[in-house]
Amino acid sequence: MKEMDYVIFYAKEMNKHPEFFNSQKKLIESQIKSSISLFKLMFGKNFKLNARHYLNQRGLIKIGGINNE
Amino acid sequence: MGERLTKAYKVIGDTIVINRELTELDYFLRDFLKVLIKYSDYLVVSGFVSISTGRTRGTEDIDVLSPLINKELFSKFFNDMEKNNFWCYQGDSSDNVYSYLEELNSIRFAKKDQIFPNIEFIPINEKRKVKFFEFSHPQKIKVKNFEFKIPPIEFEILYKEILLGSEKDKQDAMHLRTFFSEILKKERFKEFELIIKGELK
Repeated sequence: MKEMDYVIFYAKEMNKHPEFFNSQKKLIESQIKSSISLFKLMFGKNFKLNARHYLNQRGLIKIGGINNE
Repeated sequence: MGERLTKAYKVIGDTIVINRELTELDYFLRDFLKVLIKYSDYLVVSGFVSISTGRTRGTEDIDVLSPLINKELFSKFFNDMEKNNFWCYQGDSSDNVYSYLEELNSIRFAKKDQIFPNIEFIPINEKRKVKFFEFSHPQKIKVKNFEFKIPPIEFEILYKEILLGSEKDKQDAMHLRTFFSEILKKERFKEFELIIKGELK
């Protein structure tokens, strides 16, 4: 099954079976939980400073310039 | 729109009501909008529209369009965000951060000591014609007691298919086309296609 076929199949099934939203909720919340733990561990007490350095290095922000696409 | 019932959503008056529980992502957006609406208006666009209607994929940010406000008002909003446990990627000084907005560049907010999820806060004005159009034609959507505004579904689909066009965007669009197939209107697709294609000229 191609990925797009899966998207269509899942949307149709989701429409008929709203209980599928429960597994979507679990996925979303597990992603958020993992992300919080990972970055707390990575950036420690100087969270903002370290986070900005990390984001800047990856081109996600440009402190002092403007690049946020 | 009249009232139509399906198992996963129903349309009541002019509001699409999604039949699901709130997630941590919804609570995050709700907390952000609760502060923002004291100072400005908004429209939630892009990936979150698909995700909030059942598209199952990971996400890192929620895109929020908001009309550019003046520096003084932004300063109040910015300080209020801090009081409400948010931090801004671009800086801690509202004056400095405002310089991004003046150039119509986005800024990002996350909860303190977190990076993801985050809000991509996208300033708009009338010069950004397509974004301003969708902002001016909001569709109300409700999950439990959380109501927020998104673009018309037909507009969101075409925007992803025509202007964005990545595989992820096409899949998001297909999800919306399939999930909302019973309520999508051909004439609205025609109307919005002209506006969106105008952006390409």
